[in-house]
Amino acid sequence: MATEIQEIDLKTDEMIINMGPQHPATHGVLRLLLTLDGETVKHVEPVLGHLHRAQEWQGQNRTWFQYQALIDRVDYLSGMFTSWAMARSCEQIDGTVVPPRAEYLRVMVSEMNRITSHLLWLGTYLIDLGAMFGFPFYPFREREKLFDLFEEIAGQRMMFNYIRIGGVLRDPKPEWFDKLKRFLDEFPDRIDEYETIVTQNPIFLKRTKGVGILTQAVAKDYGVTGPCIRSSGIPLDLRRTKPYSVYPELKFDVITFDKEGDTWDRYMARILEMRQSIEIIRQCIDKLPSGDIMGKKQMAGMRIKAGEGFAAVESPRGILGCYVISGGGEKALRFRWRNPSFCNLSVLHELLKGCPLSDIMAIFGSIDVILPDVDR
Amino acid sequence: MANLISRAFGGLNEVRRGLATVFKHTFREPITKNYPDEMPDLAPHFRGRLALTVNPETGDHLCISCKQCERVCPDKCIEITSHKSPETNKLELIDFKIDHGLCMFCGLCTEVCPTLCIINTNDFEMADYSRESLIYDLKKLTLSQDESAFYFDRKEMPLPKPKPAKPAPAAAGAAPAAVAAKPAAVPSVAAPGADAKPETEAPEAKAPADSKTVEVKKPEVKAEVKEESKPEAKPEAKAETKTDEPKADEPKADEPKA
Repeated sequence: MATEIQEIDLKTDEMIINMGPQHPATHGVLRLLLTLDGETVKHVEPVLGHLHRAQEWQGQNRTWFQYQALIDRVDYLSGMFTSWAMARSCEQIDGTVVPPRAEYLRVMVSEMNRITSHLLWLGTYLIDLGAMFGFPFYPFREREKLFDLFEEIAGQRMMFNYIRIGGVLRDPKPEWFDKLKRFLDEFPDRIDEYETIVTQNPIFLKRTKGVGILTQAVAKDYGVTGPCIRSSGIPLDLRRTKPYSVYPELKFDVITFDKEGDTWDRYMARILEMRQSIEIIRQCIDKLPSGDIMGKKQMAGMRIKAGEGFAAVESPRGILGCYVISGGGEKALRFRWRNPSFCNLSVLHELLKGCPLSDIMAIFGSIDVILPDVDR
Repeated sequence: MANLISRAFGGLNEVRRGLATVFKHTFREPITKNYPDEMPDLAPHFRGRLALTVNPETGDHLCISCKQCERVCPDKCIEITSHKSPETNKLELIDFKIDHGLCMFCGLCTEVCPTLCIINTNDFEMADYSRESLIYDLKKLTLSQDESAFYFDRKEMPLPKPKPAKPAPAAAGAAPAAVAAKPAAVPSVAAPGADAKPETEAPEAKAPADSKTVEVKKPEVKAEVKEESKPEAKPEAKAETKTDEPKADEPKADEPKA
């Protein structure tokens, strides 16, 4: 009994530990400076910049046409959205009218990309939580099918370069839509499968329920966007709150939970978003008009009128903004990206304060950070 | 206590349901492909290794040295050497280098090419032992006539217009006709390439060319077609290098000219 009392009285020094940048669960190269008291996290400081590639600077040193090929690399899991944000901001300056068919195609491919991004998140998140066999590769199976479809229209699996300033690159063939429909028919069953395995699993619930609670006030303070803030009960979805493209013509609701969101809610929000994306793609296929896919013919030496523009899209991780200043020449004067991962990561130390060491990866994984998107 | 027991059983039931789903997967058909034995079914617009096409009908090199691809390349991995021919006053291609170690396969060069010369092939197996060997030069980049025909067909690109001077018969008749028409007139890179072809290629070339047009529709056969045409490319390329330098006294290359 005497030993027990001693343990309670025992004062430990705080300890500073480096987590990463080569940690397998940090989704790339994130370094976390942890201040630990025993097993409890006192403070955490993310150290960024290991993957800094000067994406904004590159945009100012390349022509518009060249930079389009690069921006898929800003957020490699959702390349369509980065392309779309840039295309929209440039179209805003230029006043280009995008043909309706191109707009519908853009919505379709972007929602497909949202599904692939969430599927990858689902697989890797389960790895973060310790599900090391079997399941993590079930989502990759469906993701692969979507990538085959992307390969057909864009040419590559992840670096699409499909959405261009003024429209889209290529008009899919009728067979492509058939393949997509077939995928959409079987995909809800697959999501049911994931949910059967994961959603109510007692180990998963223990790891996620009530862990990493993101309050509305904190979420607002740090500028958290995307599924993270929606699962905390704030219906901030750019597709509805500030509609762009053809989203006003499509029927869907913003997914929110009416309480403070914990890790499980963020998981559930993404699962529901995947189901929602299926419905959006279905509506797009039904409504797809015929016509051109390019508003203005793209040329290698294309110029954008002088001016500045900002456009944001709702990417799988949150609001992705692109701010451009054009001097009227072949190159941009300034590019600035508003990356959702960067803003979502800043909330990490609020979420991790006071949680045990083993929960770090459960919480960090749930905010779905892509490191190239943070560092760009 | 009762709550604990019900929770335990509920949890066990959930685990059982999950494991049953996992177990069901045992009886599903595998989705993985036996890659080296079984080539993946790639889309026609897949952005793979860059290559230069020749006119599938006549065998003329399609590059006109306009250097648009060199200018548009974001990585600056293309290097074109050309000079103005004193006789015809036209740009002539001397060398075309692509550093595939730098290339990011964005495909912008293929989009700007006015003659559809530079294309993305479906080849993605380019692993090599040194960085220098990733720099492909003209002979390594240029596709054979059959391969060009294959990609023109697959990518649904419009065939290049035949030059007015020459008759434009079907692929079978093209090669001999070119020999007859050319010898002295055009001393460009394209000409010797076309000259050498009937000797090295003509016998085997026709059969795959015919079969390809039929087979292209079936995606599974594509891989085999590619493998067939690969070894052919090498003798063809060799013949070109020999004829690239007219001064080299290779009897084989000079024969048709004399």
